[in-house]
Amino acid sequence: MPERKTIQGYLDEVGAQIRWKRARPVVLRELERHLEDQRDAFASEGREDPEGLAVAEMGDPVSVGAELDLLHRPRPQWGLLLFTVLFAAAGAFLRLWLTRDFSAYFAERPARVIVGFALGCLALLGGYFLDVGRLGRRPGLVYLGALAVSAVSLAISPGSNGASYYTRYVTLCFPVVYALWLYGWRGKSWRGQALAMLGIVPLAVICMLTPHFFALLLVAAVGFVMLLVAAAWDWFGIGKRKSLILPAAGAAATLALFLRRIQSSGYFQSRMEVVFHPEVDPLGAGWTAIVTKQALGASRWLGEGDLGGSIEHYEKMVPDCDQSALLTTLIYRLGWLPFLLVVLALAVLLAWLLFRCVRQKSRLGRLVVLAVGMTLLGEALCSMAWNLGFTFFAADFPLVVGNLHTVLVMGLVGLALSVFRGDGIAREMPGRPMKPPRLRVRFEIQKN
Amino acid sequence: MELDKSLVSGSIPLLVMKLLEAGDLYGYQMIEELRRRSDDTFRLKAGTLYPLLHGLEEKGFVTAYEGEAAAGKPRRYYHLTERGREALREKETAWNEYTRVVGLVLRGGACCAGA
Repeated sequence: MPERKTIQGYLDEVGAQIRWKRARPVVLRELERHLEDQRDAFASEGREDPEGLAVAEMGDPVSVGAELDLLHRPRPQWGLLLFTVLFAAAGAFLRLWLTRDFSAYFAERPARVIVGFALGCLALLGGYFLDVGRLGRRPGLVYLGALAVSAVSLAISPGSNGASYYTRYVTLCFPVVYALWLYGWRGKSWRGQALAMLGIVPLAVICMLTPHFFALLLVAAVGFVMLLVAAAWDWFGIGKRKSLILPAAGAAATLALFLRRIQSSGYFQSRMEVVFHPEVDPLGAGWTAIVTKQALGASRWLGEGDLGGSIEHYEKMVPDCDQSALLTTLIYRLGWLPFLLVVLALAVLLAWLLFRCVRQKSRLGRLVVLAVGMTLLGEALCSMAWNLGFTFFAADFPLVVGNLHTVLVMGLVGLALSVFRGDGIAREMPGRPMKPPRLRVRFEIQKN
Repeated sequence: MELDKSLVSGSIPLLVMKLLEAGDLYGYQMIEELRRRSDDTFRLKAGTLYPLLHGLEEKGFVTAYEGEAAAGKPRRYYHLTERGREALREKETAWNEYTRVVGLVLRGGACCAGA
């Protein structure tokens, strides 16, 4: 007796021919739906064994699977991976070379930089081989996981310059976490959009508790841009124009609160004044900006600048010159041209990410790449402003400043590249969209 | 009369793109529509259609999106892109030229037609 043909058996046979695991569920889902339609059509005609007939209509599973296997192959991103590794290697070299004769230079620094670079490469590959689609299927879990990690980090992390040291780094992942959170609320109407927006609040609270105001601004800016993108896609199914109402109201309320805070807080006002006029507080908050501008004024296009003293003089004069002011050190010690080359290298990486983001088929992929790109761009702009004497927020320049920071940034770049790697099957993963909580209000009337 | 498969295979991309010119369809609908329009002559197998559609998507001739079919069932719809429309026009022109010259030959050749 011949073996009965089943839909599952056919799909298993086709799936066995497709070598790329990530492609299998996407391709097989479409074939499964087709088989179900065909089976139902045969059943409605009253045919015997409609499932077997539907399978027979499909054609040979091995040749179908082999053809699909040829079409669905990962797209390696070796060029961008190599570029990122070389950029990070150049950053590690600069961290060591520029601070080689600083008195604060300690013996373990080269070992730490090398370990940081090696871990960064591992993070890059880890992010690259991570399936973003899989994260997109569990957005709530990722979000809650990020909140839990942040809470633990806030509780146990040592302090540095008045902030929770490790939480500062955790918060840099928030834009990506928020992208996944937003993705999970697709097609969930007003309630979904409101919950998507509310997702920003706990992240913002953690940024304030850290405190890390750059991350707070980043989360707010990325969140707003993503909500606009979601509105343009009619992500919540309420119409494109209507989708703009809540984000616009949220942004207006946040801005009003922010402006009110600035008006009522003397600290914010003096901080803003010092950014543009550091001379009003030359020995206090304006000191960093003033000495930074002095160092830049003494710099050359190529070669070491001349502040009229040894490098020890520079080291003592410019605060944090081996970390957040490393770019100032780069300009002072090597010149403006190497600085511009470093900025250009990052601009190339960001432009490439943006270019590929626009052409990306998967919306989840677009959101994730946008989140990574905006994080790196925000950090780069803030770091450049700080190092040019406009001391808004101290931020680390991506892939150049900081060991742990470099590990984190390389992981984020790897995640963005993983999106491009899976571009061939970049389709919306049905997964399990999040369900809005069901709130029930019960009224009971007691009869006396 | 059953058609020779080798005659049909080369024209399948043209036929599928032509179907999508009128509107977005999902795989099963395309097979049914092709059968209907060809007077039950072209019975395309799904195993042929899906690799073809994925190949057209790869070339940027079609895009796919998730939509709801009858009874709210989610289905993968295909949409002919502008690039796909251009490719379709070229394929149609080439096909018309091909059938014209094949017809000429079958009628005795350009030199002898009407002789």
